[in-house]
Amino acid sequence: MTKRYVMVHDENKCIGCQACNVACRSENGVPEGVTRLQVRVEGPYGEMPHLHFKYHRVSCQQCEDAPCVKVCPTGAAYVGEDGIVSIHGDKCVGCMYCVAACPYKVRFMNPETKVADKCNFCKDTRLARGEQPACVTVCPTDALVFGDANDPQSDVAKLLNTKITYQDKTHLGTHPRVYRVPTKRGGI
Amino acid sequence: MNNTWGDMAQYDPVTWHWVIAVYLFMAGLSAGSLLIGIGLRWFNQEKTQVESNILKAAAIIGPVAISLGLACLVFDLTKPFHFWLILINYNFQSVMAIGVLALLAYSPLAFAYAILVLRDDLPKWGLGFLVPIAKLLMPFRKLIEVLLFVLAIGVGAYTGFLISAMNAYPMLNTAVLPALFLVSGLSAGAAANAVLALVMFKTDSHDKTLAKMHGLELPVMAIEIMFLFMLFCALYFKGGAAAAALASLTSGVWASVFWIGVVGIGFGVPLLFMLLPAATRHSKGAMIMVACASLTGVLALRHFIVYAGQSYLS
Amino acid sequence: MIELNRRTFLKGAGASGATCALASLLPGSLAALESKQLKGMGKEIASICEMCSTRCPISARVIEGKNVFISGNKAAKSFGGKVCARGGAGHSLLYDPQRIVKPLKRVGERGEGKWAEISWDEAYQLIADNLNKIKQAYGPEAVAFSSKSGSQEKHLFHLATAFGSPNTFTHASTCPGGYEIAAKAMFGTKVKRDLSNSKYIINFGHNLYEGINMSETRGMMAAQMDKGAKLVVFEPRFSVVADKADEWYAIRPGTDVAVALALCHVLIEENLYDKAFIERYVEGFDAFAAEVKAYTPEWAETVSDVPAKDIRRIAREYAAKAPHAVVDFGHRATFTTEEFEMRRALYAANILIGNIERKGGIYLGQKPSDYNKLAGEDVSPVLGKPGVKDMPKPAAKRIDQVEEQYAMMWSAGGIYQTILDATLSAVPYQLHGWVMSRTNPMQTMTDRARVVEALKKLDFVAVCDVYISETAAYADVILPESTYLERDEEIADKSGKNPAYYVRQRVVETLGDTRPSWQIFKDIGHKLGLSEFYPWDNMETLQLLQVNRDTDLLRRIKDEGFVSFGKPIMLREPKMVAEFTKAYANAKPVDEDGTYGSLLSFKTPSGKIELTSAKVEAMAPGRGVIKFREVQLKKPNELYFIQGKVAVHTNGATHNVPMLANLMSDNAVWVHPDTASKLGISNGDPIRLTSSVGTEEGHALVTPGIRPDTVFAYMGFGSKNKELVRATGKGIHCGNLLPHVTAPVCGMTVHTTGVTLAKR
Repeated sequence: MTKRYVMVHDENKCIGCQACNVACRSENGVPEGVTRLQVRVEGPYGEMPHLHFKYHRVSCQQCEDAPCVKVCPTGAAYVGEDGIVSIHGDKCVGCMYCVAACPYKVRFMNPETKVADKCNFCKDTRLARGEQPACVTVCPTDALVFGDANDPQSDVAKLLNTKITYQDKTHLGTHPRVYRVPTKRGGI
Repeated sequence: MNNTWGDMAQYDPVTWHWVIAVYLFMAGLSAGSLLIGIGLRWFNQEKTQVESNILKAAAIIGPVAISLGLACLVFDLTKPFHFWLILINYNFQSVMAIGVLALLAYSPLAFAYAILVLRDDLPKWGLGFLVPIAKLLMPFRKLIEVLLFVLAIGVGAYTGFLISAMNAYPMLNTAVLPALFLVSGLSAGAAANAVLALVMFKTDSHDKTLAKMHGLELPVMAIEIMFLFMLFCALYFKGGAAAAALASLTSGVWASVFWIGVVGIGFGVPLLFMLLPAATRHSKGAMIMVACASLTGVLALRHFIVYAGQSYLS
Repeated sequence: MIELNRRTFLKGAGASGATCALASLLPGSLAALESKQLKGMGKEIASICEMCSTRCPISARVIEGKNVFISGNKAAKSFGGKVCARGGAGHSLLYDPQRIVKPLKRVGERGEGKWAEISWDEAYQLIADNLNKIKQAYGPEAVAFSSKSGSQEKHLFHLATAFGSPNTFTHASTCPGGYEIAAKAMFGTKVKRDLSNSKYIINFGHNLYEGINMSETRGMMAAQMDKGAKLVVFEPRFSVVADKADEWYAIRPGTDVAVALALCHVLIEENLYDKAFIERYVEGFDAFAAEVKAYTPEWAETVSDVPAKDIRRIAREYAAKAPHAVVDFGHRATFTTEEFEMRRALYAANILIGNIERKGGIYLGQKPSDYNKLAGEDVSPVLGKPGVKDMPKPAAKRIDQVEEQYAMMWSAGGIYQTILDATLSAVPYQLHGWVMSRTNPMQTMTDRARVVEALKKLDFVAVCDVYISETAAYADVILPESTYLERDEEIADKSGKNPAYYVRQRVVETLGDTRPSWQIFKDIGHKLGLSEFYPWDNMETLQLLQVNRDTDLLRRIKDEGFVSFGKPIMLREPKMVAEFTKAYANAKPVDEDGTYGSLLSFKTPSGKIELTSAKVEAMAPGRGVIKFREVQLKKPNELYFIQGKVAVHTNGATHNVPMLANLMSDNAVWVHPDTASKLGISNGDPIRLTSSVGTEEGHALVTPGIRPDTVFAYMGFGSKNKELVRATGKGIHCGNLLPHVTAPVCGMTVHTTGVTLAKR
């Protein structure tokens, strides 16, 4: 059976500490000034004393129907067999069409390679070695779970079957593979 | 909460900047200019061996504008010297890939057509060596003309499709945008043709073809205004993020660009000139002024759509 | 010798985007080195982090000679193989072009920023000459030694003792001293909290979700998320921990003690306390109960703004979960001069429900030798203590031995800020020299202007650090220490409920001309003519002495990085005791109730937990019984100014580390919308804060997450020395706004003051 790699971000467990952000930089050599992954702590929203923050993971959503792949003129942006949205660097001319078309604004031009860049679940580095993505590896509060959703025994599959989750901007028909467990306060 | 997550510059939703707006303008101008030039030739059923000055102007603007536009596009790439990659790799889902194909056919044809139409003027400009080519192409004139006309419609609309294909931006992701860009391209084309015909080919301001072209301006503008109205109505009634994008009409620098540039200069100035006595408005100076206002309006419209459109995410 | 002055690199700073050019001009910096290719010492090296003082076990792997991927060491279970942003960014410090990798000598005025690169030998000679000169003229006690706690501390203090100075200081009185001294007074030792097994956690602004302490942060999150523990937070600011809480109360700054005492009041009044426990283990209950009678929730409400009915309900809910419930005794921030009473009140709320040595409560921890005795066998190796026999004790009194009330602090890190009193006012005697290791009092002590004044007045100042910190900028000599990723160090004891050891190891070959602190202070010792006090050659020999030449054990500790021994034990937890005795046949006999309750004793004068202390009463008359005293923290027209930790920085230490500076380099000040609108301040506006000692300029963050009478800023920002290129001039410098005040008994500096806020 084909793999369907997904990630679940539990906003209740997330404390916005940026350990993931830093680990991602270290593992993937992300240059200064650009970012593959950040967790924004937004808010507080609500009325005193019922305030709440939103812990917003901003990274590639690994859309099943990816706008970036659709618009890329050269086919540099593609979806791999593992379902991970990836980039053929040698085909990219840097037209920025994918960067503009991404509804989540998570693609950027790598200032060193001059090629579009973004999170690929550490496909070339950690996944290739059979490890979990860097962000999942270091997350202090175990807020991230990653795995093959097609495997019913996997932690992600179990999580998706037991917890309320949502995805970002589903109205655009992108079918993201990053799921979010909403915080107990404030709704989705 | 303080920002503890680092640089936000890359998340600016405005990805494409003025260079792309200029490219969209140039491509529209090129297509519009040729559509007007060729269209008028067909309408007038010109059979003479003397080309009209309007057509000559279009024959120059067509290839020059698209070349400038493509230059903008290539140098806006992060890897400009790898632009050839885009010519050998195609993703036919991508509007841009289809556009590349269209431009690959359109640009050389525009040059060929220019050589053909300007065959008598080439020696004056020290380009006499091109005349034999013109003679070679002459038998295929009709074919070239028809192909170019069809491709010009494609290129004009393509610039709209290019940005309307992005569903992330409600203001761009509308069906009316390609049509709006095509029509405003016609506006720009007509204006540029007039300027070049008047200035470069010393056309009399009461020239017949010029007058016919002039007559097109009001209906084209009316259609443009209608498309803009449709665009904003669609956003308003769609609600949510789409309606929020309408804020670009009331706040920020792009609201000024729209009301002063697009509406005031682009539509207002030509309409005001129509109220002037015929003698005044048909003077060469007045016609050039109106044409420049139209061009400014179209350039402003491209900037407004590119910037305001990208500023509001779905 | 390359001379560069501050003007040269100020010029660089003027041009925007010229940070790189500027960095290359920093004297003695890594930027001058040609190759910065990293050479790993192995594929994956287990070590110990040093990006904060929690010192988590880590595992590091060099990636293509360019950077290092750092994660937690999975062998340490409670750390879960995890690492925080600071720990993950350690390699960014390693190859930061602005790191200092050559010894530097001051060539201009102190603090002027003119430096010359010198050799290590020159640096040592300079230090030895100056220290010996001071020693001859004024005695060795005229030199103070202060250090970051941990591995550096031991070596620097050994040097101090060998030199003859009693004046050694850690950062205790600016950070953990309050709760440590309160614990010492009540339990006789430091205590730990068992958050992960707690079912009800009451938290007074201990923001474990921003000031991350990996095992505790993970423990609390697991308790909340996996085991359904309830978390109640009292904090003037809506912090991340407040957000994650089930209930949050925006308590008035500095009134935590009132709420804690009211909780005790309810527990006693409503008979919700553990009488048997009190009877058996606690001294001075009656005096405490008599005092607490007055501290009703209704009274506490008037003081703290926390509703009385909620205090009552919380006390009942807390008691219902006893003994698996805890009142967290907090960490760094010293809210008021009544710090000692506040921490004791927090401990009291624990003692009353008898959660000591119970799951989810408070425990004392097991030392390897005690653990072995309990088990009746050598479950855990016991480390040898390589030391010097007949180490002479310094003859002079410490400079903080002025008032008897601070006696407990003298041996617990000292009252750091008395260095300023001794330097500026010769109280109790004049200091002439100051040797520092990885400490930045300019940021972490209060009243920055006074720190500058003291540094300028001293005859000689030497600083060992990795950057030209705000403090190092005023030194005469700067000694560049190797980063933790380039150092081998002693095996350290990491025992909790069972014995454990771990060790710091070199991950990469040293970049530039830096040395580990143990070597630096040993070398200085030799130069000072104190070779007799250094009977060991290097770290390898020291480690061998520690393991009593058991090379197999040493290899195991180095390979695994973190090694734990035996079964976890809490003396009063029957299940754990049963498992313990099952595992160890010769274990000490168990009490009738299935616990080791009879073995639980305390190192206090009475051998019991001293809820009321005769010893404290003798030291500080009137303070034997825990009591509420009103404190004026601000004038009526002022706002409370409070600070806190942020997850991506450590106190005054990491603000120039590239990766972390890129995450956050400014600390916009939290202002409530009502306060902001009264002053005409909008979000992002430039503002000015003025206190009794200083003025700071920054920006406003208008947010409902703060009380209207309070402003908040994350600490450690706003450095003022140009050498700290990325950090300088960005944000509010908290130390420059806090007045010099010392809290009774615990000797803490105080982190709350009154400020006026204005738009600028």
